[in-house]
Parts: sequence; structure tokens; C-alpha cells
Amino acid sequence: MIRTDYRWLVVFGTNLLLLWLGGLANHYLSHFAFLGFEHCTVSLYLGGLLVTYAALRLDARSGWMSTLLTGLAADSLSALPFGTSLILFGLVHAVLLHGRQRFPREELVFAIVVALLANLFLFIALSFFLVGSNPRPATAWVRLFSDLLISQLAVAAITCWFMSLQNSIFSFLRQHPETGRRVAS
Amino acid sequence: MLPQRFDQARPFATLGVVLLVWLLLPVVFKTFTRSAFFEIQAPITITDSYVVDVQNFWATKLHSQTELMAAGKETAALIATYDFSVQQNKQLGADILRLENLLNLPPMPAYRLEPARVARRDFTGWWQRLIIRKGRNYGITVGAPVVFSGGIVGRVIEVHAYTAVVDLITSPTFRVAASAEGDVRPVSYQGGINETFSAPRGTVEFVPLDISASQSEPQRLVTSGLGGVFPPGLNLGSITLLEPSTDGLFKNGEVKLDPRLNSLTEVTILVPLNPDQF
Repeated sequence: MIRTDYRWLVVFGTNLLLLWLGGLANHYLSHFAFLGFEHCTVSLYLGGLLVTYAALRLDARSGWMSTLLTGLAADSLSALPFGTSLILFGLVHAVLLHGRQRFPREELVFAIVVALLANLFLFIALSFFLVGSNPRPATAWVRLFSDLLISQLAVAAITCWFMSLQNSIFSFLRQHPETGRRVAS
Repeated sequence: MLPQRFDQARPFATLGVVLLVWLLLPVVFKTFTRSAFFEIQAPITITDSYVVDVQNFWATKLHSQTELMAAGKETAALIATYDFSVQQNKQLGADILRLENLLNLPPMPAYRLEPARVARRDFTGWWQRLIIRKGRNYGITVGAPVVFSGGIVGRVIEVHAYTAVVDLITSPTFRVAASAEGDVRPVSYQGGINETFSAPRGTVEFVPLDISASQSEPQRLVTSGLGGVFPPGLNLGSITLLEPSTDGLFKNGEVKLDPRLNSLTEVTILVPLNPDQF
């Protein structure tokens, strides 16, 4: 009997949830008061976290599908040329997939490090790509640096939750994320 | 069985194939895919906005009758003031029409006002956008100006079935022809100075040398009406700094924008009644 494989859909679905939560956080972080400053604004970028689980835990086919679809979903909500996140997420996914056998990829600490590095790379790549259109690039870099700092802190804080959410869904479905085989509860 | 060397390079080969396929895909397909992915996420994106509306509704229901009566009195006073403004506007409109007919001028572009709730604010260091809860279902068009009580908010850059995306004047991607209040010579406005701990600012270029402005004596910047998208005279912000450009022919400077732009919850879209005019 042929079983339909929905592993990519599980990871893609959780990534959509993270995109929504990230967007919601950015909505409220667009204006707040902090330490006597009346008009503060920061923005979170969580792109690195969207690739980590698919690249470290899923099999190649499901992982690629999930990552590429997530890239398209992220692009559709941003002002980036359509396909930019698809290519960048794909690049990070390929690098992680290439080297994942050499590392303890099921360890949570390793996942946090990977998510942080992936997020750093994606943020800097996008910044170099987009900062040229700004009339004051030097001022823009200061803002980008503070956004990066907050984003890295957020990634470090939520990676544990996000990875265990995805693990829990696979446990609930009694499916191994990499092999797709049924596992005992 | 594939040799081990190829097996190791397989992720990059896959990425190469994806890249090639993506480059070869027709633009129509990409546009459709973008729209489809946006529409899939749109209900999730705007759900929280509706939840906040419900939350506000119940919070308002908890107000006492005395509070509501006081609010009603204030609203009645406002309505009286606005009624007078409406009468004045009608009079001014009739005057403009009379002058247009007298001087054989082409008619001013006419707009329909469409208020819309802000569903999502997306203010990164790279771009500044809003998602509003009205789209094709209310006849919103791409390029339509968006305003609020403090002046210009931005322009509509994407229209979807039930939502639309607005590019804000604080965004570096936003450019418009403007002019100093009381002056007809056009200058170029661009958004983009969005620091973490201060209100948003924009930049102006090609300002004539005889115009001056400073923090203590700011110069109001309004739309010039050139380019056809924005009606003339809408407030953009205040020029607070002007310095001679490197070639010495013009001045460049900074524009202080309304800080409320970062916390908008409701905006008005000026939907052109006759889009062919633009």
C-alpha cells in the first residue's frame, strides 16, 4: 500500500505558524516606548529558524520541499523580489544538508547554534542586497545592527520551543521525521 | 549506485537545478505563485486584527453609561465642527469648478475616500509596509494614495482579494515629487531614515538654494501634484535640516515625519474615480 508522505507539510505548517507569530511580534514592535525613548521601533527576522529543522532532521526530499515552500511563503509577505528567500533558504539548506552527518544534529544545542548562524548569514545577505536603496546607508546599518541583535536573541530564545513543537507533532503522528517510518509511542 | 563524491555534492546539485528552474520560469507563473502564497496566508495575517477589534468591542461595552454620555457629548461637538468644514469644502469645491470652467482648465482628479483598518505593520530596517483589510472587494487600485489625519501614509503597491499592501513614506522604496509649502518648484522626497530610538525621517533632494529650514524654523513639505498619483498640497512632514549638495546647485536635507505613522490603526485610501486620468 502506498502511504502519502506529509512530513514536509508538517514542517511547512509550523513554519507558517512561525511566520505569523513573527509578523505579529513585528506589528507590536513597530512602536513602543523604552527607557525614556518615546518612539522606539525594532524588527525581528527569524529566517534562520525556518530552515533549521527541515535541514537537520528531515530526509532530503521532504526537507527541500518544506524549505522551498517556506521561502516562497516568506517572499510573498515581504518586499523582496519574489524568489530571493527561496534561493537564500535553499543555499542554507544545501550547506546544512551537506554537512549534517558530521555533527550531532539531534542535539538541541547544536540546533540553536545552527539557527543562529543561519539567521546571521541570511540577515547579512539580505542587508547587503537591500541597503543600497537606502538614502543614508550608514544610518541604515545602525538600525540593521540593532534589529540583528534583537533577532539573534529571539532566535536563541525560541529555537528550543520551535524544535520541540515540531518534534512533538511528529511524536503525535508517530512518525520518524527522517525515515518516515512509524514509531512506537 | 552513485559515486560517493556525487552523493556529497547532491544538495548543491539540487540547489543548482532549483535555481535553473526558477530562472527559466515565466514571470506570469511567478506573479501567480506570489499572489497565491499571499492569499493562503492572508486569513491568518488578518485574524489577529479582527481579534483585536472584538477585544476593543468588549472593552468598550464595559464602559459605564456616564463615560459613554461624556464621549457622546464630545462626539456631538466634533460633528458640529465637521459639519461646518463640510459646508466650507462644498463652497470651495464649487469655486474650483467655476474657475476651471472659466479658465478652461482640465478638471482636478477626483477620488473616492475608502477608510480601511490596518491589519499588519511591517517596519523592518529594509522596508516599511502596511497590510490593510480592504482589497479588490472594495475596488482598491494599485498606486492609489493612502492618507491619514497627519497627511500622507504611502501608496498601494499590491492589491489582493480582501487585502492590500501599502508602501509607507518612511520606506526607502518610496519616492515622490514634493514642494515646500507656498512654493511651486518641485523637490524630490525619499523615505528611509528609520532609527531604533527616534521617530522616522525622510530625505529631500534638489531643494532650491533660496529655501532654508532648520530645527527651530522648520519648513512644511507638501506633495506637488506632479507625477499624477498624489493630489497637491497633502502634508508629508517638516524639513528640519538643509545643507548645500556636493555640486552646490541645490540643497539636500532631512524631513521630520509624523511619529504616528509607526502606530497607525486606520487609514484612508484615495481611490481614483477615473483611473484613466493617471
